[in-house]
Formats: sequence, C-alpha cells, structure tokens
Amino acid sequence: MKLKRGGQEDLDGRVPPNQRLTRGWPVLHASPVPKFNPAIWTFRVWGEVTNEFEIPWEEFRALPAVTTTSDFHCVTGWSKLDNTWEGISFAEIARRAEPKPTATHALIHAEYGYTANLPIDAMMDDDVLFAWSHDSAPLEAEHGGPLRLVVPKLYAWKSVKWVRGVRFLDHDERGYWEVRGYHNRADPWREERYSWQE
Amino acid sequence: MTAEPTTPADVWALIERADELIKYASNRDPATAYAQARETLEHALAAACSVPGAAPLEQQARTRLDDIARLEGGAAT
Repeated sequence: MKLKRGGQEDLDGRVPPNQRLTRGWPVLHASPVPKFNPAIWTFRVWGEVTNEFEIPWEEFRALPAVTTTSDFHCVTGWSKLDNTWEGISFAEIARRAEPKPTATHALIHAEYGYTANLPIDAMMDDDVLFAWSHDSAPLEAEHGGPLRLVVPKLYAWKSVKWVRGVRFLDHDERGYWEVRGYHNRADPWREERYSWQE
Repeated sequence: MTAEPTTPADVWALIERADELIKYASNRDPATAYAQARETLEHALAAACSVPGAAPLEQQARTRLDDIARLEGGAAT
C-alpha cells in the first residue's frame, strides 16, 4: 500500500477519480429524516411486472437475506470503503415480481417523493440490494434506515435512502437529481456527474 | 467572496454549491443552510439571465428555489 502526498492511502484503484477517502460517514440528503412506523410501512412493487405486490415491514424482513461488502462513492467527493450491508437483493425482488419482457428500467421510490432511475441490467448485479443493516448494526435513520438501496458501482445518489418501492418501466424516466442536472447513469469511474456529459 | 459568474459553468457551480448546502443542512442549522442556499440560487438565477448561454440553467435554479420553499414549509422534496 503506497501513500500519497497528504498521507491518503492509495488503495490500488479502489478510489475513483477526484474522490477522497473518508473514515467517517458524512450525512447528506435532500429532505428531512422521515419517522419510521413499522405498523404502516410497506414496500410496493408495481409497473411492468407480472406479480405486483405490496408487503409490510415484517414480511419484507422475512425474505431471504444476503450480505455484501462494497465501496461507496458520493458525488460530493468522498468515498467510504469496505461497507458490509445486509438486506434483500434487487434480484430477489425481481424474481418475485417477474418483470415483463418489456421492462427495461426501474424507478426507485422513497419517502417524500424522492426517486432515482436505474437500468434493470445494472440492478441485477450481486452487490445491489435493499439494505437494513450496515456493518452489522441496524441502518441508522440518518443513513437511510430502515431501508435504503445500495448500488455500489454508481454515485451514491442512486443508492436511495428511505426506500418504499420499485416501479418497473418499459422506458427510462429520470429521477429527482437526474432531472436537476445530474448524470443519468452516474458511473464514478467515468466521473459521470452532470447531465451535460451525457 | 464569490466572483461574479461569467460563463454557464460558473452559474452551474453556484447551483451545485446550493445543492451541497441543502444536502448537508442536517449537519448544522437547517434554516441557516436553506437561507444560504436560497441566496446562492438567487445569485445563480440572476446570472443565468445575463450570462450568454446560461439561460437553460434558469429553470434549474427556479426548481431548487421551489424545493427550498417546500422544505421551509415543512413538506419535503
């Protein structure tokens, strides 16, 4: 392991261009932190699928869980490495919903109407999940608890906090930040930060 | 002191600065952060109307000013 000027570790290509490592976990979001009430919380899947469903928290937590470890890159410039997440893989949700052949994209819906769009192909990777735990502890509300999406290969605004559902689409539809001038794909290795780069 | 914007990139930099003020607002006094973001966006909005080629950013600034109004009103984005 080499050291860069300033003492920051060079982790052999694990940190995308113009990102800096953080050992903490900065808190940022575009809305207040919502209150979680498991008695009324539901996870809904709808749109271009054969089996639409809406399930309560208890039932969601009973789905077969996975544990993954991955890095996390925020468009504001920090990266946090080696995060261990536990939750339900997107692939498991898709397996239950049975997307129609026409389905190409997913629009993730969260509290307060926040959305982010993703191609289904990218969501089917093994490291994409809806997580309720981070580093073996319940995911804190300020970091998206009780449930956030984790898409490690893309900038973190795609890793939607406070997720409440997925709408499968037969077309692409830009989400909250994508409408506001940020990149539709958001690959940190290509520094896809802004819409004018598309 | 922020230099007066002269290019669309300068205007976007103001908008991006406002985005960061909003995103990190919960780490400080949110009301102050929203006020600073609004001031930054009003600067961006004025610049978008005068800097050649920056007109498309006018709507981006207006959208965010609406977002802040909802945040300050208790409803969220």
